[in-house]
Amino acid sequence: MWQRPDSYGRFGKFGGKYVPETLMHALSELESTFNSLKDDPDFQNELAGILKDYVGRETPLYFSERLTEHYRHPNGEGPHIYLKREDLNHTGAHKINNAIGQVFLAKHLGKKRIIAETGAGQHGVATATVCARFGLQCLTYMGAQDMERQALNVFRMRLLDAEVRAVHSRTATLKDATSEAIRDWVANVETTHYILGSVAGPYPYPMMVREKEAMEKWGGKPDVLVACVGEGSDAMGLFDDFIKDKDVRLIGVEAAGLGLDSGKHAATLTKGEVGVLHGTMSYLLQDDDGQIIEPHSISAGLDYPGVGPEHSFLKEKGRAEYYSVTDEEALEAFKRLSRLEGIIPALETSHALAYLEKLSPTLANGTKVVVNCSGRGDKDVQTAIKYLKV
Amino acid sequence: MASYIQARFFNRQVDDSCPANRLMISKRRTRNAHVACAQLLPMENTPNSRKLDLNKPMMGTQQVPINVPAIISGKFGRFGGKFVPETLIACLKELEAEFNWALEDPEFQNELQTALRDYIGRETPLYFAERLTNHYKNEDGHGPEIYLKREDLNHCGAHKLNNAIAQAMIAKRMGLKSVVAATGAGQHGVATAAACAKLSLECTVFMGISDMEKQNSNVLLMKLLGAEVKGVEGNFKDASSQAIREWVGNLQTTYYLTGTVVGPHPCPSMVREFQSVIGKETRRQAMEKWGGKPDVLLACVGSGSNALGIFHEFIGDEDVRLIGVEAAGFGLDSGKHAATLARGEVGVYHGAMSYLLQDEEGQIIGPHSIGVGLEYPGVSPELSFLKDTGRAEFYSATDEEAVEAYKRLSRIEGIIPSLEASHALAFLEKLCPTLPSGTKVIVNCSGRGDKDAATVLNYQQYSM
Repeated sequence: MWQRPDSYGRFGKFGGKYVPETLMHALSELESTFNSLKDDPDFQNELAGILKDYVGRETPLYFSERLTEHYRHPNGEGPHIYLKREDLNHTGAHKINNAIGQVFLAKHLGKKRIIAETGAGQHGVATATVCARFGLQCLTYMGAQDMERQALNVFRMRLLDAEVRAVHSRTATLKDATSEAIRDWVANVETTHYILGSVAGPYPYPMMVREKEAMEKWGGKPDVLVACVGEGSDAMGLFDDFIKDKDVRLIGVEAAGLGLDSGKHAATLTKGEVGVLHGTMSYLLQDDDGQIIEPHSISAGLDYPGVGPEHSFLKEKGRAEYYSVTDEEALEAFKRLSRLEGIIPALETSHALAYLEKLSPTLANGTKVVVNCSGRGDKDVQTAIKYLKV
Repeated sequence: MASYIQARFFNRQVDDSCPANRLMISKRRTRNAHVACAQLLPMENTPNSRKLDLNKPMMGTQQVPINVPAIISGKFGRFGGKFVPETLIACLKELEAEFNWALEDPEFQNELQTALRDYIGRETPLYFAERLTNHYKNEDGHGPEIYLKREDLNHCGAHKLNNAIAQAMIAKRMGLKSVVAATGAGQHGVATAAACAKLSLECTVFMGISDMEKQNSNVLLMKLLGAEVKGVEGNFKDASSQAIREWVGNLQTTYYLTGTVVGPHPCPSMVREFQSVIGKETRRQAMEKWGGKPDVLLACVGSGSNALGIFHEFIGDEDVRLIGVEAAGFGLDSGKHAATLARGEVGVYHGAMSYLLQDEEGQIIGPHSIGVGLEYPGVSPELSFLKDTGRAEFYSATDEEAVEAYKRLSRIEGIIPSLEASHALAFLEKLCPTLPSGTKVIVNCSGRGDKDAATVLNYQQYSM
């Protein structure tokens, strides 16, 4: 048994609060407000009401009959595949669960201005959505390269009255947007709350994100949980409730991009080393001089060189297993679920689905596998069409 | 016989030289009946509806009492019916029998309930739109309470899948291998493609070429889901005609999956029945939330499926106001709109009697709306009946008002509604000032508006 995290915000040696002094007070304030509200029944009721009526929870656990059939051996045996339908959330991904909780916190802290960073745009849209709902000013930082790949999400954010600011520095993707957002927060901490979209950030963020996600209880226990891992919030949301259940296998799937040996991937837990990025100690893709290596994945949401500290901890303890899947395998999985089940998954989610190809043949008959269908793929249609030549 | 009765009904002479009547009079069922059917379908440049002359006495009409289930009769007062060639009557009868059997079959119902819950994500919430409610409060702080029925949260982003999944299941029960459909905005096409993928049916969707350009994102989605998308010159009404032709040419293997509450009986009743889950949930949710019924139900009206979906449950509740909002396009007097109930006349179109937009010669007037899903020159026969009996009220909103409403809900509630649903939301501007404080208004938020983002962007740029 371990406390997750401990009182210093650490998961083993990972996690912590590696931030400028100016942010320490803000983080402490955040932590104490979070802890007091987490057990407040009024807060919990209000949050539950919004998650139900606004976001559309609880999301179904869907038995994928045709996918199960697809993985059946000739003798008729195979695992049972279920999808946790986070794609059905308002705004189309799990990101909103966290955004809602944090905006509630921000309101309690009396903040009027919200900033966020976004990769695929899902967290940006979720943040803009919630700010519109609660009448708060919203600014999202987005890498210029990502803005091009995810133009629909940019337009959605602007419709929702948020400002989307392009970040051109370095690779112009998620990690650079995160750095800009942190800089903004340092400068404006009195008036501004920073809604971190990922579990990769200084304590108490990792814990807060995770708590919001694990809201529903399951009927029975699954045997295997599979989720994609970029920075890891989607996976942590699914894993959280089951970490103490040793008979439940936890599998995270990262982005192998153009292949693990190509140098163009985002498989942090497979190929990374321990270091500090964005305020937290965790695995990250860095070279011998400690410079961040540019990640690559066809999916913007997995294109991140770090990973949540709790994932690093789970890997080290051997509690969770981490594998990876290439761009090509993810695209195949994207097409497969669309054709077999009529559900178009996000390219991020497709990484988790792709791993079923390797996993299913190894599983005993009737094994219950739950894949986190973390988002819908409407946003990825242009990318997919280009590659799949449909 | 159908054509004969039809001709007498309209006080026209039965013309023996007319191929339709010659065929019918012969009474011989030929093996090539399906070819004959195809010949009788509307062709270009011929009147494809028949105007009802209200000054002549009507023969053969029966006033159906309001409590006779329309599922059996297919008539809503004088509206509805089965105005189709003789050889389609048999198919429609078979479909009706399958539909009735499915409704009674607990196995079908269980399978459908599971699909609605786990695949589509029902029940959809009844959401109290706090900021929209505040927006409509007057200076004294009084105003109605606005709720949104969140059909935008369904899988595929609209109410269309409620019907598509149920009908695809019926197609499978009938042992059919492929499905054809027609789509306007693309939502029904996407829903049909998704349902067919899930149930392992081949899927062909017909779509107007101009619609394909306007809703390109939906075309891509359909293709990804494994459907074949075929372009048709014109828009939804032409796509519908083509889909019907395709069906009639392949009756043994193909199911025509209608997306909306028009067409010959039993189509309107089937679609309405499957969409009525919206109203049934709404009743229960209203009771849970405030221990009562809604005061006003508000929905956009293209052909009428989402409106009937929420209205139908409450038709018998006289204290619930039913308000449908059609597309006024560039304005009701511009000639460029789709406000069938406001400006149409009664006639027969696509197999049913209803209001429709037609000129003096019975030619269909091409409709226009920025909400592509509302661009249909006809309307549900059941809604025509509700209009004539005064049970429901119908108004309209222009393109401009709809775009304003689209932006308003996005900004105020963080919900991007479809341009179709935006028409209903637009009407709140006129409606709310007239309502007593605390009136409970439920708007059917029939779809999400991501698909309309490019349209709104272009509209804004064009209008600047």
